[in-house]
Amino acid sequence: MRSLRGVLIVLLCLAAAAATAQVADPAHKTPTASRPAAKAAAMQGECANCHSCTSPSHENPCLQSCRRHGAQFQGKHTTDEGPEIVIIDQLAELYGPVVFAHQLHARMSAMTGGCTNCHHYSPPTGKVPACRECHEPKRETANLRQPALKGAYHRQCINCHLDWSHENACGFCHIQAGDKTGTTEKPKSGAGSHDPTDIVGARHPLIKATPTYTYQTSEPTGPVVTFHHEDHVEQFGLSCVDCHRGDTCSSCHDTGGTRVKKRLDHVTTCGACHAERDCAFCHSSGSKPQFDHRVSTGWALEPFHKHVACATCHGKPEDFRKPSNTCTSCHIHWEVGSFDHAATGLKLSENHIDLECASCHLEMNFAVKPSCTDCHDEPMLPGKLPGTKVPRR
Amino acid sequence: MVTRREFLKFSGATAGTAALTSATALASPYVSPLDPARIGVLTDLTVCIGCRSCEWACAEENKLPHGTLDTYNDQAVLEKRRRPDAEAFTVVNRYAETAERPQLDAKVQCMHCEHPACVSACIVGALEKSLMGPVTYDAWKCIGCRYCMIACPFQIPAYEYENALTPRVMKCTMCAERTLEQGRPPACVEMCPVEALLFGRRDELLKIAHERIDQNPDRYHPEVQGEHTVGGTSWLLLADRPATEFGIPKLANESPAVLTETIQHGIFRGFSGPLMLFGLLSVLMKSSTDKRHGKGWDESEDQEDQNQDNRNHDGEDHHG
Repeated sequence: MRSLRGVLIVLLCLAAAAATAQVADPAHKTPTASRPAAKAAAMQGECANCHSCTSPSHENPCLQSCRRHGAQFQGKHTTDEGPEIVIIDQLAELYGPVVFAHQLHARMSAMTGGCTNCHHYSPPTGKVPACRECHEPKRETANLRQPALKGAYHRQCINCHLDWSHENACGFCHIQAGDKTGTTEKPKSGAGSHDPTDIVGARHPLIKATPTYTYQTSEPTGPVVTFHHEDHVEQFGLSCVDCHRGDTCSSCHDTGGTRVKKRLDHVTTCGACHAERDCAFCHSSGSKPQFDHRVSTGWALEPFHKHVACATCHGKPEDFRKPSNTCTSCHIHWEVGSFDHAATGLKLSENHIDLECASCHLEMNFAVKPSCTDCHDEPMLPGKLPGTKVPRR
Repeated sequence: MVTRREFLKFSGATAGTAALTSATALASPYVSPLDPARIGVLTDLTVCIGCRSCEWACAEENKLPHGTLDTYNDQAVLEKRRRPDAEAFTVVNRYAETAERPQLDAKVQCMHCEHPACVSACIVGALEKSLMGPVTYDAWKCIGCRYCMIACPFQIPAYEYENALTPRVMKCTMCAERTLEQGRPPACVEMCPVEALLFGRRDELLKIAHERIDQNPDRYHPEVQGEHTVGGTSWLLLADRPATEFGIPKLANESPAVLTETIQHGIFRGFSGPLMLFGLLSVLMKSSTDKRHGKGWDESEDQEDQNQDNRNHDGEDHHG
């Protein structure tokens, strides 16, 4: 029995040895590195710009994928030529369109590599082609060397943003389609529409600005100018770009990507909006308080209209001086009994309280003051009011 | 009685046959039976942004538990090193920025080896290497031995330990239904917003990978992970650093299956192993019988039985 075991062991060892011998087979060794790189490097002139081998044929053109940072941007172009903003919406489906601040990126690129940073191909003459002129909207497996349009956009944007700020979330550039906060239901302007992190159409970490700036000027009658930054942003719903035009990322960031606190200088002047105002609108002997609707117009917003954006009643900031919308633009369901007329400063008398709104406010036009003679023949009546005056609420 | 000459003749013949078959085994190295037009995927990790969309697409396609796409925006999970498990066939791991290197996001999934150790280890053929590339799994054949999990050099296959009655081995199948039957790219490839994943013929992908390295030698580590490692893999990786620096173990250029299969197949090739073993056994049995009882080859059956009994007694004595 013992001898039998011995023989078995010897037998297995033999088999294992044979196997090991086979393992060392030369057919499995790694090929040494003689890549087309060496060949391509040896090649001179223009062939190597497009072909990776020395003798391209019709069957095997050995075309290289496009060189992103090759010298293929030709022609003379300046950063100012390009559009200010590009709306990228060709592929909008799951996400809404992207508002790309082209001019801003162009100026930033001018510091490092110019247009070629993104426009890696441009013919010697004519316009710089748009991404979609080369990159197909649909991803084709047949062309593995060129990313489709979506991939091309994403690579251009995200790979850079990732280096810059480790930012890769979709929402950084996109607003999700159908999102309640998205483009579809978002008011065009006004405080309700205002996203304080929206810097020239792209999201940005919130910038905290000083709420009030007080300037000392040489104006003899009113040397002090008070500027309530907070009012303009929070209440009037202005976007950063409405005033800060011409700023680039480099105004705040150095090229290394670190944040440097810096004051933005390129401000649209006050006069651009307040041109027809007299000097005293801004200049005074002391600092001015923040905007108060009750003080400035005599009509307090509290309590119900306090949270309504200015633009809801006034429209655009330049039209703020009188309402562009009427009460019924919002209060479409007002009827007798549901509206407390005393809120307007006039408590209706018993005779009038049950009348339809339109009986006095003809065609529900609340901008026109009602006339008593529309109903009353007695000449004495227009001197009276249809109720008593009360303090406004 | 067997003569010395007869014994030598017999054992010589047996050994000869064995040697011959071993020699045949030696002369024929492992030849890949795979289709030259087989498919693969190339991951360019220098392009990957770590958005984890691929993880979501994979879970969606393979009906694995998952939340909405938004829940995958959570970057906090990237702080931990993860491995594919029974609920995720693919995961992205983040290697943070250092003084020398930028941040790198590395997608992990089954590499679909050209000569897979898991397939070699599977004793029931539940795992199969398609000649077109993907390593597929058939839960009906699987007996749950989990040899594949031990065999895999990349530690990819996971097991449904929570599933008490019908547990399965869980791993990426390169979306075999889509890729092989419909010719569509795997879900993760289709989802990738930056096209860091390319799907196509493996030979073509290799060519593209080398083109990229040649054109941007500063950007890439000069080796394509998966070109040679463990005998090559259908899934190829391009990165700015050696693969060992983003979670791929240091592996030989030969499939671990080659060694085991050579031993196993070598022994049993042409039935030579068993033949040799039983040949020798019979010779030894006869010769030992002869030695003890001085009997020849042609004994009556009764006598054989008697011998058998004696031997059994001998055995007991040994143990005692």
